[in-house]
Amino acid sequence: MKHRLLILLTILAMVAAACGDDSSTETTAAGDQPATTQAPDTATTAAPATTAGGGGEAINIDFWVAFSDEARLGFSEEKAAAFNAKHPEYNVEVTSFASYNDAFDAAVLAVDSGEPPEIIHFFEAATRQALDAVDASGNPIFKSVTDAIGGRTDILGEPVVLDDVVDAARNYYTVDGSFYSMPWNTSTTVMFNNMDILNAAGITEPPATWGEVEAACEAIAALPDGPSACITWPNHSWFVEQSLGQQGELLGNNDNGRSDRATEVYLTSDGMLNYVNWWKGLSDSGYYTYTGLQRDWDGTSNAYLAEEVAMLIYSSSDTTFFDTNASFTNQASFMPYNENVDYVGNLIGGATLWMLDGMDAAQEDGALAFLNFFSNPENAAEWHQITGYIPITKTAEAQLVADGWYEESPNSKVASDQLAAAENTPASLGALLGNFVGIRDIITGAIEDILVNDVDVTERLTQANEEANRSLSEYEQLFGG
Amino acid sequence: MLIIGLIGAAGLGFLYVRFFIQRRTPIRYAVSSVAAVGGASVTPFAMGQCGFAPETTGVDRLLAYGLMAVGAAVALVIVRSFFDRRDGLSNESDAFAGEIRSGGYRMGWWVPWVLLAPTLAILVVFLYTPAIQTFTLSTRLTRLGAPRSVDVCFRNFSELLVAEPWRLVAYPLIAIGLVYGARFWLSRTSPGTWSRRGADLATIAAALSVFIALYAMFSPGGGGNVDFRAVYLTTVIISVGVVVVGMTLGLAVAYLAYRSLRGGSAYRTLLIWPYAISPAVAGVLFFMIFDPTAGIFTHAMESWFGIDVPNYRESTLLAQTAIILASSWKILGYNILFYLAGFQSVSLDQVEAAVIDGASPWQRFVKVVWPGLSPITFFLLVTNLTYAFFEIYATIDFMTKGAPAGDTSVAIYEIIRIGVNNGDLGRGAAQSVLLFIAVIGITLWQFRTSGRRVTYGGA
Repeated sequence: MKHRLLILLTILAMVAAACGDDSSTETTAAGDQPATTQAPDTATTAAPATTAGGGGEAINIDFWVAFSDEARLGFSEEKAAAFNAKHPEYNVEVTSFASYNDAFDAAVLAVDSGEPPEIIHFFEAATRQALDAVDASGNPIFKSVTDAIGGRTDILGEPVVLDDVVDAARNYYTVDGSFYSMPWNTSTTVMFNNMDILNAAGITEPPATWGEVEAACEAIAALPDGPSACITWPNHSWFVEQSLGQQGELLGNNDNGRSDRATEVYLTSDGMLNYVNWWKGLSDSGYYTYTGLQRDWDGTSNAYLAEEVAMLIYSSSDTTFFDTNASFTNQASFMPYNENVDYVGNLIGGATLWMLDGMDAAQEDGALAFLNFFSNPENAAEWHQITGYIPITKTAEAQLVADGWYEESPNSKVASDQLAAAENTPASLGALLGNFVGIRDIITGAIEDILVNDVDVTERLTQANEEANRSLSEYEQLFGG
Repeated sequence: MLIIGLIGAAGLGFLYVRFFIQRRTPIRYAVSSVAAVGGASVTPFAMGQCGFAPETTGVDRLLAYGLMAVGAAVALVIVRSFFDRRDGLSNESDAFAGEIRSGGYRMGWWVPWVLLAPTLAILVVFLYTPAIQTFTLSTRLTRLGAPRSVDVCFRNFSELLVAEPWRLVAYPLIAIGLVYGARFWLSRTSPGTWSRRGADLATIAAALSVFIALYAMFSPGGGGNVDFRAVYLTTVIISVGVVVVGMTLGLAVAYLAYRSLRGGSAYRTLLIWPYAISPAVAGVLFFMIFDPTAGIFTHAMESWFGIDVPNYRESTLLAQTAIILASSWKILGYNILFYLAGFQSVSLDQVEAAVIDGASPWQRFVKVVWPGLSPITFFLLVTNLTYAFFEIYATIDFMTKGAPAGDTSVAIYEIIRIGVNNGDLGRGAAQSVLLFIAVIGITLWQFRTSGRRVTYGGA
């Protein structure tokens, strides 16, 4: 009997383990934007429902946010509560998700089960995927905000700010002449410089080009008590895309997927080889330090704050964080570019708010009013100040100038200036690709192999190119016209 | 082409009766052949015969025949149990059923089914339906929110395997031949001879050849395909590492903790704590210890001894070691718990007898205690292996994210990376089907080999 019991126990344990493995998948830490706080908090947080003035239930608007840190999730909750207080007939409820992908997958599944949210927060690289997504009966999941606004200048008393959005975000997110989603957190890549170390090495201005970075690193390496390495940045495909934009190279065909759907990606272009070879060179000479993890925002930012590197290429979204937390002179500058090629322009990154289709008129108006309220000049300016994401509307930017914010905090202006300096070409707008998330994964995987395993750059990128093109063509097989 | 397969299945049914059934009648030959054909035709018809379409070649075609063979084999096993019952070759469970029938359980045939219904309903909804959906998904190219999906037949599987069908047939046959050869040699030797030692070595070599054959059967990558050999090798290294380190340490700590010491029960409780921690937290803890920038260990080594500890995520050896350490530490409490319980069931009389016979502590452990622990060891082997296969995803995600260049990306990590993060549901499902087959295979093999040598004491 003992025998039988043990076998039974074994089988039970196996079944339990096999069933239990699903739970571990929820901890996907595929953060595509840096998180400034270390403590993940994926709990559902509901904005307090304010008392509904007059009769009738408040109309619920579910707002799914892919942030879980105190600063950014807190901002969303605070603004939702402010909107609810101002419009008691609505109740905007914020739910936090660990990553953009988690929020998106949950939304697609929720549409099919009939309980979808009204607004979700989704990132720039997945724009094509969001445009393509359909529900079980084949209808698009999201509705164009331009169409929904339909030319109105205010909705429920909230002025429409969509026309006021800054050019860089406008150009990126305009597809077929219309905004499908409402821009929110928008940043670009900038370089943060530890001026104390750079000055000690005899460098007075942050390096602007690849060559100047190498020269600066050489000088820093010669310092007797210098940092262990010179520079770092996360192995995130966004930096590769930025570099292609700077060099005027396309990542996808059909004008980076902007004149027609992209059906081909180019991972072996000259711009790509230039950048990866430069990167590998810095790494081989010990100037660049790799944290060993892909998309490692925390590790790279820790290395900079701990003064283990003198320079950090990063998202402008954390400008305020570095200004507050650096124990040294922190200066932001443009992302270094390849001086052998004409500079074309850097692109944006970040995320927008997508409105789901299928609401009735009252609910839709409430959602639209909230979206415009959320990025009204005061809120957009505050959002910029607490994070470093660019002020998303021109009015917000003008207000910040008038308030003297940029004199007080010059680092915060670098991102907007860099985007304003960019030409408006398909290359510097960035690509719209199907399965971009998967393709980004292929790119960072190849770069990790190149940095860690000393494989041939051209050979490895050719292999990645093959994988990425297969991945894209399979996506087009499922979603393409 | 399908016809050839079905004729083959009929032949298989005929041969099965010829060699495995004692009472052979023409009707039995017929029944067996028909059953084999029926079993073999389940998968081709469920899959719309896609494996036999004219454009299907090579490995895909082989997989189609392979699945037919599996279907036929399952049907034949069922037929055999039917024949055995007719012949009165009843087994243990039949005797048990008879016992119940002759007792006080004289009720309608439906009563057990009603009693089983709640359990069956849960199994169907939460286990069998998702499993069948996984099998269906694994034959498709599909993504969440896509307007259509494409039937790719066996492609998701064949691209994980080598391109040449003959290798897929030859390698497992060689490995099986070696295993049976070694077993034959072993059965012809007696203990203590040189020949026995040779046979023991051959047994180990044969077991290794199974791993090597599997390695050679998987795809080396290229042409846009994933290098599945690397995934397999990583999975084997990390799983074996976790099981060996976790169980050895668990046994050692349990042996020390079992001695009567003051306050023993308090720290026995403390030892079990790591098990209450989730794999994600284990990952974070070890990340905090070994991280090159913020790690406690690295900082201590640098400031006390001036040793510059390399970044564990950039070296294959260190990364895999770190994952094995973190994962086996997390399961350690569980192993200790079971070994502590196991020690209590070791017969004290036997230990005492060994002491009187003058056995050293080491001899007592090896000859008396260890055999007494074999049921627990066997149980832990299965649970630890299942843990290493399915539950270390979060640990890896926090510590290395598969770095360096996929060298800590075990099968479950790869499945979630491809199926969930990259949204390629079909390929993710195909890999999870492979993992499912692997777990079934390993469990069956464990029950056949270790199960035979396990002593369960008096029962």
